[in-house]
Formats: sequence, structure tokens, C-alpha cells
Amino acid sequence: MPDVGVVGIVANPSSGRDIRRLVANGAFVTTNDKVNMITRMLAGLRSVGVSSALSMTDLGGISASLADLAKGPASKAWPALDFVDQDITQSPADTTVAVHAMVAAGVGAIVVLGGDGTNAVVAEACGNVPIASISTGTNNAFPRSAEPTVVGIAAGLVAIGALDARDVTCRAKTLTVRSGERRRRALVDVTITAHASIASGAVWDSSTVREVFLCFAEPHRIGLSSIGGHIRTVRRGDPFGLYLRLGRPTVASVRVPLGPGLMANVDLAEFGELAIDRTMTAVTPFGMVAVDGERAFRFDPDDTVNVTLTADGPRAIDVEGVMELASARGLLARTALPP
Amino acid sequence: MNPLNRLDLYKEMVRIRQYESRILQEYHADKKPAWDIGAGLIPGEMHLSAGQEPAAVGVCAHLRKGDAITAPHRPHHFALAHGVDMNAMTAEIYGRDTGLCHGKGGHMHLFDPENHFSCSGIIAQGYPVACGQALAFKRKGTDHVAVAVAGEGAANQGAFHESLNLAALWKLPVIFVIEDNDWAISVPRSHSTANASNADRAAGYGMPGVRIENNDVEAVFEAAGAAIDRARAGEGPSLLEIHTLRLFGHFEGDAQAYRGADLDTVHDRDPIPRYAGVLKELGELSDEQIASIAAEATTEVDAAITFATSSPSPTADDALLHVFA
Repeated sequence: MPDVGVVGIVANPSSGRDIRRLVANGAFVTTNDKVNMITRMLAGLRSVGVSSALSMTDLGGISASLADLAKGPASKAWPALDFVDQDITQSPADTTVAVHAMVAAGVGAIVVLGGDGTNAVVAEACGNVPIASISTGTNNAFPRSAEPTVVGIAAGLVAIGALDARDVTCRAKTLTVRSGERRRRALVDVTITAHASIASGAVWDSSTVREVFLCFAEPHRIGLSSIGGHIRTVRRGDPFGLYLRLGRPTVASVRVPLGPGLMANVDLAEFGELAIDRTMTAVTPFGMVAVDGERAFRFDPDDTVNVTLTADGPRAIDVEGVMELASARGLLARTALPP
Repeated sequence: MNPLNRLDLYKEMVRIRQYESRILQEYHADKKPAWDIGAGLIPGEMHLSAGQEPAAVGVCAHLRKGDAITAPHRPHHFALAHGVDMNAMTAEIYGRDTGLCHGKGGHMHLFDPENHFSCSGIIAQGYPVACGQALAFKRKGTDHVAVAVAGEGAANQGAFHESLNLAALWKLPVIFVIEDNDWAISVPRSHSTANASNADRAAGYGMPGVRIENNDVEAVFEAAGAAIDRARAGEGPSLLEIHTLRLFGHFEGDAQAYRGADLDTVHDRDPIPRYAGVLKELGELSDEQIASIAAEATTEVDAAITFATSSPSPTADDALLHVFA
């Protein structure tokens, strides 16, 4: 394998620590867990010849731990590791700044450790750079589960050009929500809730949910998209999404996992397909807009909230697809394989 | 979980801030020209909680009579939010006989048995005490809870780990609250603690741990409500790590040279004006109300200072009283 290629690393230090550890059975993903996943991923990158990795810098202990480990014997199995020189605000803006730096540095792929929200922030900034996601959030509807070592191999193969990215990535759908000058993008869901403030951020209580717009709705996921998943399955590759309006009179009712270990009865007054490039307007007169399960901004009766589904999201690496192609072509074989 | 009353949260934070700001003035007033920590009407150390109001107000909004709090050397916000009488507390700070401990404890030793409030300057001392209180509640069959409050540096003490272990083992109704104000006196957490977040440590003891960012009183309110409900329902302990803000020095007289550029923006991050802005945007607070709430707090604090300064000091004859329980 050629010794080339740079891969970016984004790891959200805040993911996996929010109120859903209390109000649901959200699992812990500690800083040490995240660092461990990154070390496994780095080994995967190096194994296919990626020469260097560029990580975002954080104050949550991840980049500090990596920098420390990079001085030791474990890092012999890693590509050269560098860090984005950035001012830290401890907000999603740190991720945006880091991704812009990675794109400018010419990374061939970005590995994202986080949940749906982290991936959405990366998606806004990464342009055409493919992303591979390792789930460390709570609901994790967007990132598919995969062993970090394998994610490193897959991202590495894409970054060094061993595989044509067009064969192993697909454009994710995104939802763009606009209200006046405010604009946010989601990779999974835009939700209208009855909350009056952001507070702890998460949305876990179905009684607060009024409308949900979905990029996809897979029945084996948890979170807000699970409501759609058991009304009408929508795959990631389908040329449409779904909209749901909760309430009565009820046309359908489901019982779904709204969070880890948290089942909820959800009554729907209306639902339907949301076509690509179609814009829908929220009918709830006032409340909170949540993006990928996190409360984002309030809107009042004077505000209009419009939601548009588009097919111009990030190029998501199909890790399983990469590994199957890699196997078929013997990319990890050290000798010719017998027929 | 108690219902959210935004105006009450704001009023309580303003009340605490007014108190701390006034104590700041009174404390420094008579220690000049040369700084003498033992001089003046309030002798000894002073650790003020300005900036940390969201932690106390968000947690205490869910507590009721009979619930217990153990607090550290920076106790005023939790004391006031939990219902400790301002007059008696102020008299204690001034070392007067009408104080909570008859003037013999001072600002770091505020003991109010009626409200189950206690504090001490021994780092992490409150954790085992809270476990004992929680055990008593559990054995008595009540649904009261104990809240143990300390700073992020205290989470490196053995007592912290022993307490979490026992609380988890015995499923005690205790909520461990860590106020992470970034500085253990002058030591940043990165220099003292192997974990980037103390919420992670809860995982090691099999209890939920949540980190609350932004010093947001409503985020604290939501998380604390869930943790306290859990404890009342017999589901055991939780850990809340609240990232908060120390507006003043570790102690009064602290030049804070170690804080560097952090000091330049500290007042921009004051949680009270920020929350006032949120409430105004929601239409739940007007400029007139802001002024009247501030005036009401000032009146109450003035009265407490007057009560304290006009109270008698303990006499020499009292020296051996209250020494033994």
C-alpha cells in the first residue's frame, strides 16, 4: 500500500454525557472510551498505509490524551498525528473550525466520533470529503455501528484512493430548517416541540413533541426517527423523507423506543412522504425547533418555520461495503489468495 | 419533578447574588489600609459563590423540608436556596451570638439542623455525611434525599470514591453534585484529575452521571429534577457535574494572577444577566420587574446585615459552651 493520504478526526468530547443518562438508560461513553476507539481507528488507518491524521483539538481530554499517547510505544502503529491549531470555544463551532482546517489540508476522509448532532455539524463543513462515523452519542440514528478498527481501514482505503469513493459512499439526505435569519441542517430529524427553552437540550418526552420531519426512518433505530420507522419505513437511499404530525384525532398510534430503554406511545394525526426539494411549513404556532434531537431555537407566533429535504448531504462511507469490496479485491491480502 | 417557575429561579439567583455582593463589600470595608484577613467585623477567610447561583437554585428548586444538603467551604448559595434563615446565617458569618452556631463557626461552618444544612472547609467531608443522611432516610422509609455538594477538586479525595461506592452498593437516595468552576483554588482540573469529566467517574460505580454545561439554571433544573425523582423512587444515587463559573477569587484577597486571560471574559459569562435576557425574550420578565426584584433582594440583605451587626458577640463565659455535642 502506498504511504500517502491524510485523514481527519473529529471527536465530540461532550457526546454520551447528557440528561438521557438520567431520564432514559443512556449508556456512558467516557473520554477514555473515545480515546480507546480513536487508537483502534488509527491502527486501522495505518494498516492500509495512511501516512498522517489530523485531529481536532478539544478541552475535553481527548486531544490531550492522544497527544500524550503519541509520544509512547502504542503510536508506532499509528499514522503521524497532528492537531488543528484552533481556539477552543467548547461549542459546535470548534468542530466547524476543525473540519474547515481538515478540508483545507486536503484530507481524503474524516472519521467522526459522535452522535447525530456531531455528524450534522461536520456535514455542514466537510463539502465533498467523505465521512465515516463511529457512534458515541445517545440515539445514534445516523452513524451505523462498526468496530473502530474497521472504520479506520475503510476510511483509510477511501482516503488513499484504493477504492473509488463513488462506489462506496452515498449522499446522505439532509433537512434544512429556516426561520427568518436562522438556519440549521439535520441529518436525521427536525422536530417541533412545546419546550420554551433549550435547558438541557435533549428531546426525550413524547408529550412535548408536536411535529417531526425525517430524512429516513429505519425501524431498528431508537430516537425520534423510530416513530416514522414503524409508520412507514424510509431507507437512506429512498428519494423522499417523512413528515409526522402528532396529536388527535388519531389516524395511527405506535409504541416505539424514543430513547435507550425508553418506550413511548405516540399518536399521530397526520403523516406522509416528504419529497426531495419540497418545503413544508410547521403548523405548530410557537415552540422550539430541535435538530437531530437537540433543542436549537425558539420560535413565536410571528415566525414561520420551513423545512426542506434535499439530497445534498455529506458523502457517507459505507463501511461494510468498503470491506466487502476490499475482500473481493484482496486489498488486505498479503499474498495471492488461492482461488 | 417540581414544575418549572422561571421567575422564581431568577428571583432566587438575584437574592443570592445580592447577598454575596454585599458580603464582599462588608468583608473588605474594614481590612484596609494593609490587608489583614483577621481584621474587621468579618474576620477570617471568605469564599463567595457569585456566578455559581444556577447550581444551587436549579438543584434546590426540587428539594423540600426534610431533605438534606452538605456543602463545602463555598456554601452561601446552597444555604440560602435551601431555606437557611438569612439573618441567622449572616450573624454567624459576623461571629455573633444570634448566629446559627452562636458565632463560633463562621462562614464555612454553617449548621442548620432544622433545614438539614451543614458545611465545612474540610474538602470532600460532605460526601460520607450525605451517605449517612441518605441511609437514615432509607431506613426510616421516607422519600427524602441527601445532596452532597463539592467542587471538582474534591472529586480526587478518597472520601468521594468511598462515598460513591457505598451509595451505589446500598442504593442510597443521594445526589452527588460537583460544581466544576474550573479552578481548585488555582489548580485547573487538567493538572489534578485523570478524567476530563468527573461525570465519567460515575460509570465506574454503576450510577448515572451527567455533565451540565453552560451554567444554565434550567438545564440544572431539568437534570436535578430527574436525579432527585430517581432517588425518591428508590432507584439510587446519581452524579451531577455542573460546569459553573466562579466570578470572584477562590477566597477574598485572592489576586487571581493564575487565571490569566480567563479573567478578561469572566463577567461576560455572568449567568444572571444572561437568564434575564432569556426571560425578557420569553415575555416573562420586564425591566420594571428586574428593578423591583433587585430592590426586594437589597432590602432583605440590608436587614440581615443590620441584624448581624447589631447582635451581640459571644462572651468569654460562653467559650466552653457547645464544644461537645
